[in-house]
Amino acid sequence: MQLLRPESVEAAAAALGNGSVALAGGTDLVPMLRDRLVSAETLVELKEVVPRGVEGTRIGAGTTLAELEVDPEIPAALREACALAASPQLRSMGTIGGNLLQATRCWYWRLDFPCFLHGGSRCHAREGAHREHAIFGNERCASAHPSDPAAALLALGARVRTSRRELGLEELYRLPTEDDRNVTALEPGELILELDVPRPEASVYLKAMDRARWAFPLVGVAAARFADGVRLALAGVAPIPWRLDSETDLDRATPLPGTAYKVELARPLIRRALHSVT
Amino acid sequence: MARLIRTEKEVEGRYTEQWVVVEEDAAIDQWPAGPRETVGRPVPRVDGYERARGQALFTADVALPGMLHAAVLRSPYARARVRRLDLSRAREADWVLGAIGPDDCDALTLEPGFHGEPVAAVAVDSPGRAREALELIDVDWEELEPLLDPEEAVRRNELHEEPRRYERGDADAAFADADVVVEAEYRTQTVLHNPLETHQSVCRWEGDTLEVYISTQFIWGVRDDIAESLDLPPDRIRVICNFMGGGFGAKNGAHAQTFIAIALASQTGRPVRCALSRREENLATGNRNSTIQRLRAGARSDGTLVALEGEFVNAVGWKGWSGPTYGPMEMLYACENVRTLTYGAKLNLPPNAAFRAPGFVEGTFGLECLLDELAGRLELDPLELRARNHADRDLADDRPYSSKNLLECYRRAEPHWARRDAVRARSEGPWRRGVGLASQIWYGGGGPPSYAWVRIGSDGRATVITAMQDIGTGTRTAMAQIAAEELGLPLDRVRVSLGDSSRGPYASISAGSSTTPSMGPAVRAAAADAARQVIEIAAQRYHLEERLLTMQGGKVVSSDGGSWPLEEVTGLLEDAQILGKGARGPNPTGMRVLTFGIQVADVAVDVETGEVRVERIAAIHDVGRVINPLGAQSQVEGGIIQGVGHTLSEERLVDPASGIVLTQSLDAYKLPTIADVPEIVVELLDIPDEHLTNLGSKGLGEPPIVPTAAAIVNAIRDATGADVRSLPVSRDEMLRALREARERERAAAPA
Amino acid sequence: MDVVTSQTIGVEVNGTTYEREVEARRLLIHLLRDDLDLTGSHIGCDTGNCGACSVILDRTLVKSCMVLAIQADGASIETVEGLAGEEQLTPLQQAFSDHHALQCGYCTPGMLMSATALLRENPKPSDEEIAKAIQGNICRCTGYWNIFEAIKAASE
Repeated sequence: MQLLRPESVEAAAAALGNGSVALAGGTDLVPMLRDRLVSAETLVELKEVVPRGVEGTRIGAGTTLAELEVDPEIPAALREACALAASPQLRSMGTIGGNLLQATRCWYWRLDFPCFLHGGSRCHAREGAHREHAIFGNERCASAHPSDPAAALLALGARVRTSRRELGLEELYRLPTEDDRNVTALEPGELILELDVPRPEASVYLKAMDRARWAFPLVGVAAARFADGVRLALAGVAPIPWRLDSETDLDRATPLPGTAYKVELARPLIRRALHSVT
Repeated sequence: MARLIRTEKEVEGRYTEQWVVVEEDAAIDQWPAGPRETVGRPVPRVDGYERARGQALFTADVALPGMLHAAVLRSPYARARVRRLDLSRAREADWVLGAIGPDDCDALTLEPGFHGEPVAAVAVDSPGRAREALELIDVDWEELEPLLDPEEAVRRNELHEEPRRYERGDADAAFADADVVVEAEYRTQTVLHNPLETHQSVCRWEGDTLEVYISTQFIWGVRDDIAESLDLPPDRIRVICNFMGGGFGAKNGAHAQTFIAIALASQTGRPVRCALSRREENLATGNRNSTIQRLRAGARSDGTLVALEGEFVNAVGWKGWSGPTYGPMEMLYACENVRTLTYGAKLNLPPNAAFRAPGFVEGTFGLECLLDELAGRLELDPLELRARNHADRDLADDRPYSSKNLLECYRRAEPHWARRDAVRARSEGPWRRGVGLASQIWYGGGGPPSYAWVRIGSDGRATVITAMQDIGTGTRTAMAQIAAEELGLPLDRVRVSLGDSSRGPYASISAGSSTTPSMGPAVRAAAADAARQVIEIAAQRYHLEERLLTMQGGKVVSSDGGSWPLEEVTGLLEDAQILGKGARGPNPTGMRVLTFGIQVADVAVDVETGEVRVERIAAIHDVGRVINPLGAQSQVEGGIIQGVGHTLSEERLVDPASGIVLTQSLDAYKLPTIADVPEIVVELLDIPDEHLTNLGSKGLGEPPIVPTAAAIVNAIRDATGADVRSLPVSRDEMLRALREARERERAAAPA
Repeated sequence: MDVVTSQTIGVEVNGTTYEREVEARRLLIHLLRDDLDLTGSHIGCDTGNCGACSVILDRTLVKSCMVLAIQADGASIETVEGLAGEEQLTPLQQAFSDHHALQCGYCTPGMLMSATALLRENPKPSDEEIAKAIQGNICRCTGYWNIFEAIKAASE
């Protein structure tokens, strides 16, 4: 394994691909390298090339969660989602760009079962132990997306500027399909550089977890009110961050026997989030 | 002259007969109750300095010259047969220095019975490459169908031992006569010890002596395990554990990693470290096994318990033992008619290991929740129901207690219990508040054999020498306090030397809440022996009568006025020293030595989201004399927070089809953080047990975790009306119980 | 562009500069413990969950099991060994000792680094800020209260 330290976005983008992997805060990647869930010939350190800091509505992808959680310029939903994510050490290491791209905590995936998401033929969680798993979009893969900030940014209608294009956060994520098991639409060598986060009139992030702090969301609910209405997004309920139009969308959930409670849990959280922003 | 006696020894409810040698000198009277000069007063830890500087050397920090690092090939299947194990590629690689299979080490097997069971191991000289070397081992696995369901194991009679049956009185007749009968099925989950230091050993041959550095709760047990397994003379084995990063019951023996390290050290001629990763720790080093408890209680309308019945299924795992889940039902209350039936299911799951009051934590959850369901049916106050059924004498063994102050604990619980109307009144919006309580019974009397020496040098300083281990509980400090008290020395003039089987006499296991009650009396006896010698020397040197002399404030003091600094007396000997010896005497014959207590929990439940917050726990325990209130309080708090984890967030999960353990890392297995900690009020009665040793102290490690789950779950019922019957009280279980309570309420409501 | 497989890195740890040849995949915690013999920082989980390996890296509190050693090239690192001088304890360390803020002590070095980072940023933290500062540090023995009390005492 080798480490590259490019000095420009172009150099970094050029270095990525062919088995090389981008390294930012390292909080997800380093343990996965250790566990050999990711094998990389080459790591490309992004510290020097990805913007860091907040300017108006723009957030550099290299900004840490710790920086965001205390920044008064940041919409409440994102601030709260950052503050409720992980632990202080990880928030001071992890970047917002990396957070959006973190891998699922599905135990089958983390233990390298030959599951659908790893390119296999079936989802082990559907038949197996799945109390932390998905209630939407879970037909092929029942993993749950663990990012709190992703749900907040989705509710906020954030846009993403990459090294190649600009896209809505919704377009960044995709459910894994038979042909492509990725959960993001990033192309090889494409880097997230910046987020543009519209200012809502009000926003909030609520999170249910297994202990009071330092756990991934069972259900996280972000709500943001704009002039044209309220946007809702959920964490921990689908393989990707999940938009809902309203609470009644929960009726369309497809829970597994062990995740039915998440539907019940999401209802009051959505109601409270809506109440809080309206 | 030494006196040989045969006496009963108990560890965690398991009794054995044992020969012990006690000193012949007259028994030492207990100190009067209450704080003394040092004993009974809050004292900072004597080893706080090393630990706070990061200088305390744990087994994890031991690095010997030339040391190799082992990695263990573990079964990826819950049940398998190894058709072929080929170590030749590993043995041929020049960077792999050792490779062993079942032929080389009994801790390895070709027929693994649980996910994570060790099959082979390698040693390399770079810690980073040990796991890589495992790829050079070629294995043909034949995966076999695992047995994972405990009820199915009972049906197939796949048990660790014959079902245990117990009956006193006539339960059937008593149930038939009872005014009220309640029954329920309770389930507890598998939980993992997770001491922060994983299981690890460093082994090296020094000539014909085997040195074993190990993170252990029992250095003598490690020595005996190795001697027996490898047929070595015990005195050729030196076991060292100076600082130890927690055990909670999982580190009572040598364990596989030690035998693997020894075999690799023998093969390579180099010291070998075998340290488990956190994931290996959570696969293969033991757990508190899950249980199923079908319970029934019958009472008269005045609340008198007339019959108790329990069927317990302990899901033991592939190895291990069927714990006393039945214990609280048989021992806690004065019920004449009790029947229990207990199965220890043998499953293709990792073995259990003693975990902080094994069996009693699980059994207390079931019994004490059932008692509250009974109190509800009888419309009786739960505290009153418990007091009414107080046992004045042990009915299981038909013996008196050496001491029991449970009624005093109940009395002290009243103010905490009486807060419940105020607590309930603080319910607002979706947050409902309530209070619950549960009683505690457990062992904790310790016992012989345990020995200690006290050495006093010419500098007037004392060293307690005993080959015990301090597993983090503060034993060093407590033993120093006891010696300082007896010697009339300030605490800073007493040191404790422990943790090395070749440097001190035999000492007790640190398990079963037995360290203080087993070791403390031996240390006091040794200090008393040393003090006697000092006084004899002083009397001869200064021409005084011995009976006039005592040791106080670092001096030998005569009641007629004179005093001589200790160093002046011991200084007469120049570099020679005084050595006092002490032994732990037997427990009182014909008596049951137990600990008691009660906890009262305040909780808040969000009835919409199922979130449970434990807001306060008052813990009142009767554990005899308290040596160090500061350390004791910390132990109680630690036990309670482990209990909170057990109740709310911790659960080991396995894949239901394959038996593969899913919650190996600490993001999947959720230990409590500081954000989960309630306010904790600790009240220890501090009443010495007048029948128990020269101290009257019992152990405190385990009692605080025993009633926590039941107290919390009873508080949840008080707050919401919901009957939680299964641990942990995760969101799914809490929402289920709330739903069931709403449906029950709806069905009961008039149309 | 630098290409690094195994490289000589320079780090300053507790005021002393070290140069070591490290493999690219080596974690900072292993550099500290195995190569520099600074065994105060502990490995409790090596998945970033327990916090026993917490150190201060260029004034930021990090878990050193999640940092590659080569990422620390040129950095300044503080570990528990660097907190006090030759003999004395810092007020925080003394408070940990006085308040029984440890039982087995295995998590203590990480707790001390988290608390040190807090008190440098915020010498008079509120109760909530103290609790928040050690949310990423697991203690399996004490029940946390004495740790909280020690940090509070050291902050006053």
